[in-house]
Amino acid sequence: MANEEEANLQYPLDSNSYRILDEIGSGVSAIVYKAECLPVNSTLVAIKAIDLDQSRADFDNVRREAKTMSLLSHPNILRAHCSFTVDRRLWVVMPFMSAGSLQSIITSSFPDGLSEPCIAIVLKETLNALSYLHDQGHLHRDIKAGNILIDSNGSVKLADFGVSASIFESNSSHFWSCSSSMMLTDVAGTPYWMAPEVIHSHTGYSFKADIWSFGITALELAHGRPPLSHLPPSKSLIMKITKRFRFSDYEKNKKEKHKKFSKSFMDMVKLCLDQDPSKRPTAEKLLKHSFFKSCRSSEFLVRNVLNGLPSVEARFKESKLRRLASMNKSSETEEDDDEGCSVGQNIKQRRISGWNFNEDGFELDPVFPTETEGEDSVVKQVRFGGESIIKDREDEAGRDSGESNLSSPAGVVGETQVSGDTSEGHGGGGYVDSEVMIGSLMVLKRSLDDQRQQVMDLIGLLHGEEGGGGGEVSREEQLVQVIERMKMESENEKRRNFELEMEMEFLKIQISGASSGEPSSSGGAD
Amino acid sequence: MKGLFKSKPRTPVDLVRQTRELLIYADRSPDSRESKREDKMVELGKLIRELKLVLYGNSESEPVAEACAQLTQEFFKENTLRLLITCLPKLNLEARKDATQVVANLQRQQVHSRLIASDYLEKNIDLMDTLISGYENTDMALHYGAMLRECIRHQTVARYVLESEHMKKFFDYIQLPNFDIAADAAATFKELLTRHKSTVAEFLSKNYDWFFAEYNSKLLESTNYITRRQAIKLLGDILLDRSNSAVMTRYVSSRDNLRILMNLLRESSKSIQIEAFHVFKLFAANQNKPPDIASILVANKSKLLRLFSDFKTDKEDEQFEADKAQVVREIAALEPRDSS
Repeated sequence: MANEEEANLQYPLDSNSYRILDEIGSGVSAIVYKAECLPVNSTLVAIKAIDLDQSRADFDNVRREAKTMSLLSHPNILRAHCSFTVDRRLWVVMPFMSAGSLQSIITSSFPDGLSEPCIAIVLKETLNALSYLHDQGHLHRDIKAGNILIDSNGSVKLADFGVSASIFESNSSHFWSCSSSMMLTDVAGTPYWMAPEVIHSHTGYSFKADIWSFGITALELAHGRPPLSHLPPSKSLIMKITKRFRFSDYEKNKKEKHKKFSKSFMDMVKLCLDQDPSKRPTAEKLLKHSFFKSCRSSEFLVRNVLNGLPSVEARFKESKLRRLASMNKSSETEEDDDEGCSVGQNIKQRRISGWNFNEDGFELDPVFPTETEGEDSVVKQVRFGGESIIKDREDEAGRDSGESNLSSPAGVVGETQVSGDTSEGHGGGGYVDSEVMIGSLMVLKRSLDDQRQQVMDLIGLLHGEEGGGGGEVSREEQLVQVIERMKMESENEKRRNFELEMEMEFLKIQISGASSGEPSSSGGAD
Repeated sequence: MKGLFKSKPRTPVDLVRQTRELLIYADRSPDSRESKREDKMVELGKLIRELKLVLYGNSESEPVAEACAQLTQEFFKENTLRLLITCLPKLNLEARKDATQVVANLQRQQVHSRLIASDYLEKNIDLMDTLISGYENTDMALHYGAMLRECIRHQTVARYVLESEHMKKFFDYIQLPNFDIAADAAATFKELLTRHKSTVAEFLSKNYDWFFAEYNSKLLESTNYITRRQAIKLLGDILLDRSNSAVMTRYVSSRDNLRILMNLLRESSKSIQIEAFHVFKLFAANQNKPPDIASILVANKSKLLRLFSDFKTDKEDEQFEADKAQVVREIAALEPRDSS
């Protein structure tokens, strides 16, 4: 239980004082445990163990985030009890929020979303936290249901400030979000929830980006998933970045039944999802919206949401299995799509210029502009620069290792080629940091080279076998093994590919974010 | 009470004066009636918040230069900063954070193109003693630490801290178990040793013996991973700075230092290995290697060459590859001396 009085208790700064009970979350460079703190009456805590050697983050960032965390004090913000290092890991000890994140609650028990009164309570509490944060000059940068936690008494707390990132995280689509948060880059976020101006990055990041994410979170709570989440995360992000949207995907989505929502709820979400950041209301102003009038108590959440919920540990285990299953599945569908692309006949492709909030469907709808629309040009430049580089590399690498290993970039490039948009491909890349991009691509190339080497070795091995005249059966077995291995390698490659792409995008965002500067009040805090 | 202050808009000078009055009250009246005291502390918190708003502006308005200058002038005309620092433990968390931001901002405010904060601190340099000892107080460490880092932007203040006895304490502060505090102390330590080039070079030359003895034994050979990683990175930053070339030459002539660096090169942590390489290369590249350094390198020649043969950064780094190639050439060319 996270009682307020606990804040004053001294939690010990050595790992021996804690007994780890179970794993309740994991990411690329961090694991979250449920544990008990032995000297403090065996109080339950959540410990986020972050591998510092994996993050090449410089310590100034780690320090800043840790400091931000420990100086925040608000009933709706999850505050760390303490943090200390255990060999190469940073342990962040936090109150254990026994009901876990809303994302995991929805996934396990409310696949079609929560009821409106419950949504109102959760959102109101979250807004309280957001209003406090913004007042202190901090941005959250990663508002989503996965970062909103509930305790057994129904209290709602916002978590995840870099160091304490994504506590209780268990969504398959976020397997990389942990690593990106761990890098503690200046801009973080998860694609589905990211505001357009954050993705495009040329207008910089402000408090209003958090409001956008808040609006997306409202949709997430209402529908059980964020908009566009029927697409794999790689595609969703690339699509949102490139503003390319496949019409067929959209149609698929439209057919789904949708629930009825109140006028005031839809109005509130609509305000948050205004394309123009300056028109979105502040957190403080949103709190006064009619949707939050006559909001019920946390007791209501306990009765209507928490009752009969599986434990956080059980949900984590379940989601782990689901994640494995969905990873396989999503890679298959992605391959199918790519094949479809290369055949390239029936696929309608449209470029969209933004997202309009569709009040009737209560979803985000893409906007399809005419080709010559002026405001799209900036975006085009971003995309062309990126793609032309990827394309060059891909052509080269594709010869060596085969298309299927490069599913994400090949997918994008493939689409470009099929669409026959020949005006593309000679962009100046004005918004792309070519140095960063080339660095990342060199890494990619090297790993492809390694892989090629391995394939060559295997071929050599097989030739050798042939010369030696090995038995028919064992050859077959070996081939199966080889195929298995290559399959795994290609899976790994795909994942790395995607991670690299993410990293590139974040670096780009970071670079332009860095030049636009931080809000003045937080700048003086250090 | 609320009405009283709402009625007349207060000038920046008023704000500072009223803050000062309440700070004096907070500083020396522990036995007045509890309720009255509480009211005054609330009022003090509000005033500090308003000072912050003048200096930083808010979401609707940018700070006004004239108002900032007036506020700054009034603030340093009397001992407001000392009062604020000594009363900080008596304020609540929000007021402490606001006060820290106010103090930070004031260090950069110019009045008639002078940083008057610097003049004030020179005359009240003992305030640094209070700020530094904040690292020994869990509640105050992050606030005092942040103020301290802003104050050492002034060269004279940084020189005072470097030359004071406090410098020795930093070797312990940066290893405090509490990560937030240790990391804050490490940031201050780094700032002290990198910000003012000439002052740092002078300090390191004068204090070479004890400083590097401590640096090696307490930091580079610490059992704590984070300490070693931060220390080796900072050592690289210091030695590779042109203004510290004399210190660097001296450092790379020591056999003990080479031994420590070679141990760091063997660490399983990639990050530490890479940072260690950036210091190790200075030993190898030194064209006037003392005989004992050369003989250690010769004795370990094959091991070193093997190590470097598959020594890579995660990302392609041309400079790193070039440095590595040079180090490999230097080591490969070393011949055992006839005498040995």
